[in-house]
Amino acid sequence: MFRYFKSTLILLMIFMLFGCSLSSSGEEEKSQKELTLLFNFPTNTIDPQLDSNYTMVRAGVGETLVKISEKLEMEPWLAEEWESKDGQHWTFKIREGITFHNGKKVDAHAVKESLERAIKISPAVKAALKIRKMEADGQLLTIQTEEVFPQFPSELVHPYTAIIDVTEKDFDQKPIGTGPFKVSSFEPGVALKVERFDEYWDGKAKLDKATFAFNEDANARLMALQSGDADIIFRPPVENLEQLKEEKVKVESVPGLRTHQLLFNMDSPYMKDENVRKAIDTLIDRKEIVEHILNGHAVEAKGPFLTDFPFAPSYEEKKRGIEVARQYFTQAGFQVENGKLTKDGKIVQFKVLTYSSRPELPLIVQILQSKAKELGIEMTIQQVENIDEYLAANDDWDFATYSSLTAPRGDAAYFLNATYMPNGALNYANMNHPELISVINQLNKTVEVNERNKLAREAAKIIDKEMLHSFIVHPNIIVAYRDGVKNWVTSKSEYYMLTKDLDVDK
Amino acid sequence: MIHIAKRLIEFMLFLLLLSFISFIFIKLAPGDPVKQMLHVDEVSVTKEQIEALRDELKFNEPLYIQYWYWLKRFFEFDLGHSYITKQPVLSELLSRFPATITLTCASLIVMILISVPLGTLSALYKNKWVDHMSRLFALVGSSIPSFWLGLLFIELFAVKLGILPSMGKGTAKHIILPSLTLGIAMSAVYVRLLRSSLLEGLNEDYVKAARARGISEKRIFLFHVFRRSLIPVITIFGMSLGSLISGTVVIEVLFAYPGIGKMVVDAIIRRDYPVIQGYVLFITILIVMINIFVDICYRYLNPEIRLKGVERR
Repeated sequence: MFRYFKSTLILLMIFMLFGCSLSSSGEEEKSQKELTLLFNFPTNTIDPQLDSNYTMVRAGVGETLVKISEKLEMEPWLAEEWESKDGQHWTFKIREGITFHNGKKVDAHAVKESLERAIKISPAVKAALKIRKMEADGQLLTIQTEEVFPQFPSELVHPYTAIIDVTEKDFDQKPIGTGPFKVSSFEPGVALKVERFDEYWDGKAKLDKATFAFNEDANARLMALQSGDADIIFRPPVENLEQLKEEKVKVESVPGLRTHQLLFNMDSPYMKDENVRKAIDTLIDRKEIVEHILNGHAVEAKGPFLTDFPFAPSYEEKKRGIEVARQYFTQAGFQVENGKLTKDGKIVQFKVLTYSSRPELPLIVQILQSKAKELGIEMTIQQVENIDEYLAANDDWDFATYSSLTAPRGDAAYFLNATYMPNGALNYANMNHPELISVINQLNKTVEVNERNKLAREAAKIIDKEMLHSFIVHPNIIVAYRDGVKNWVTSKSEYYMLTKDLDVDK
Repeated sequence: MIHIAKRLIEFMLFLLLLSFISFIFIKLAPGDPVKQMLHVDEVSVTKEQIEALRDELKFNEPLYIQYWYWLKRFFEFDLGHSYITKQPVLSELLSRFPATITLTCASLIVMILISVPLGTLSALYKNKWVDHMSRLFALVGSSIPSFWLGLLFIELFAVKLGILPSMGKGTAKHIILPSLTLGIAMSAVYVRLLRSSLLEGLNEDYVKAARARGISEKRIFLFHVFRRSLIPVITIFGMSLGSLISGTVVIEVLFAYPGIGKMVVDAIIRRDYPVIQGYVLFITILIVMINIFVDICYRYLNPEIRLKGVERR
């Protein structure tokens, strides 16, 4: 028996010695400028074309041809400029003087090969880019799309299209990009470690090294910040934000590009009526949702897009509340009998879908349910595991909570096409609105930016006028960081995190 | 030799049956990975494109045909590729296995270091304060949710004392908090189990006979009672090892220490069929191996079992 105890003790000692030796080497490196960012979604690959977490771009390793600025406008990145006269034939001029992390020059040929690989391995990139053919000549890349596709540059904002050197094959563990940082090591689901790339085309990064780590648990992220294991954390627990401020931690809360919304099933006999949709919309107390469910970390939504976007129209203030809802229901032919809402003598009951992966959505429905009850409306709430699968396969619901990125790349066309075109993948409500379809079709053929914005505004106005969707709030992106962190920018798109300007006190 | 061959054939048939059942269950769950692969939440795709990818991946074929495709590959020792990461399933499983096995072993060491002394002392000092303390420990240990215990440890050792990392992987220090969390939760059960097993053993006739023969108490306890008392503990241990390997997701998430458990939960959410199927087979083989190991332990711990085996031959 003693023998086993002895072996166990020896094993423990080895463990401890190993731990001590590694920690002391870690202390030696403290003299360098180093920072740890803790993100809330883990990734198992950093292959930019497969990683739905965009780690390579977020960690400053990879860059795309086009980027979205903080003003939510498209701007050149690896591509210096681009042009197209017909929206189908494009010429991109690749910036001179850029090298990959392995020292190879970035020219149109390298970009073409990178995009070709992305299209080959990712059905999403293939669907998004719709490229028919590409030709490379020096720094000029000419691209022909399968159809007139004016929003093509905005699709190149997507981190899936980050440019990498395809001649280096370790895409999964050590992709070779062009950003201010190069990959040191990657542990799937744990962390990506990067170090400064001294030949970066836009000037050296201020940090020597950085770690882009992952933890899905909000409390664990908070404690990592408090213990000094992390310098920047994404989405700390909202209930602890006041406590963080007392601990000299900076907290930033900026509206993101996501919109929480209600989908109305156009096949439901009740929801076909515009007045019913408007009645439900007026029952949504957005102010209460922002203040009490999201603790003030959201802005009330007026339409699908954040009002900062040039394609977001100005909306007239709407009258809201139970009395307004009652009027709409009356116009739709509903009555209140014995305290219950009825139509044609039958008690009305709405079936509402929600899901828990965004915890605020079931709470929003509960608030709506309590308001509706005051009007005598019965609502059955069903919580489903996978909302997309349920909506696609079933037709037995009246309205549903949903959440989506409405303009993730600075263009309205993605949301409008996916949601309102009859064959759109997100058209779960079976929307088929000829006037709106006509505007979207026009938008899909229009190249000139101002004209596109005008058409997108027109589409948003139709959606609002007929209440095809009810948009509730744009939740904020909340980031907490230690006092010594400098030049941190909470990007609305959440695409850019470790930048060349990010700095930290030694 | 024939016996081994028979057992092997039985095992293969069992694997096939299990793979078929799990395949059917996975496919019957609503949804598939197509929307994930096309990233419909951020890329404008059409319903036709979704259907085309479903056709390409043969998801529209009858279930038995889809199973046949999988089975053909399996017989070529190919578990396929993950739909999401495009990596071979086997390499995905093997890449996560070291983390899982390290966490499992470290938790077991913690469990043994707590439950053996505490269980033994509470049996030797029945109804004394040590016994009461161990009862309290077992009660508290099995009642506290492991994620909460983990958070308490992070607060104490990482935030307040600053002596251990709060999360991550890489050094031996990183394994201490997750293994302590898991080990304590496990030992709560084993302390009481070992205690009752030892008490039972101490009242056996052979112990009285050994005492009458003048054998020292120390020798009786270590070589007779303790050894035999480990049998029920090993039985439960064998069963809980399988769940420990696959069921430590909460701890893996909390400490950002991803192992096989977290990988399969992600795969289930994303309906990454090849990974789920590969995992089922991998864990089955592992559990069968653990059971064989437990059988061997029985034989070592209780010569009666070994001798019965010899008699049968």
